[in-house]
Amino acid sequence: MTETDRERLIRQYAAREITWRELRERGFENYVEVLGALGALGLRPPVAPMDGPNVAARERGRAAIREGLRTRR
Amino acid sequence: MSESYRLIVTDTSPLFTLVLADSLDVLLRPGLSVSIPDAVYIEATRVRGAPGADRIVEWINDHLDTVRIIPTDVGIDQQRRLEEGRSIRGLGEQAAIEALERFLRSDAEARALLLFEDTDIERRRAIVGERVDLVSTGDFLRELESARLIQSSDYILDRAAAQGRNIERQRQAVSDLEARKRLQDHLRGDQGIQR
Repeated sequence: MTETDRERLIRQYAAREITWRELRERGFENYVEVLGALGALGLRPPVAPMDGPNVAARERGRAAIREGLRTRR
Repeated sequence: MSESYRLIVTDTSPLFTLVLADSLDVLLRPGLSVSIPDAVYIEATRVRGAPGADRIVEWINDHLDTVRIIPTDVGIDQQRRLEEGRSIRGLGEQAAIEALERFLRSDAEARALLLFEDTDIERRRAIVGERVDLVSTGDFLRELESARLIQSSDYILDRAAAQGRNIERQRQAVSDLEARKRLQDHLRGDQGIQR
């Protein structure tokens, strides 16, 4: 993979156009490598908006974390 | 929170993000038991001295009451593949599925919260039942931010990327040094032949 390809893929990943799974399929060995490439370009790891195919299960997950944090206080 | 509700880490990315941001402890804040399938653990820590690996091992050892490594058949297969020099890509997630199924079978009341990387959870439909909830690293951090337990999720993510960049620079510097040395050795060898 050339440096240009690598940079293009990382930019696409940061923009949520491709997934971490796709990065792995295209030659990124581990996530530290991804974090390093994001950092070198001044980008941060992408955060998924609350939509897509798993929203209901994610909302339950967030509610569970909220509840856990509340009861631990 | 009940022991029958567990957080299962499905991939190395949340571990690496949090360890590089020096924030692994946030995983413990909701008070859940944390399960790390063996294949995820091995993938994150198998290279001794790799960035974050030692700290992940240390963190698990410091929290053995709450954090456990879950043995799986996939993990055994992973060992075999490593010995044979074959790819282990994707085995972490398979091990997480196996760990999840074992856990749900062990207790009819059991429920699990699967922790995923953000882009994977956004795009791929995860097969989940009523007893399985999902969360991404970003979701997790946003809840901590709302509860004012961290400065902000962006701060943690930026810190992880900045630390990653430093590691990458160090790696490149070592790589450049090795390349220079190889070139010098090569040139010395060539000169020797000419004499």
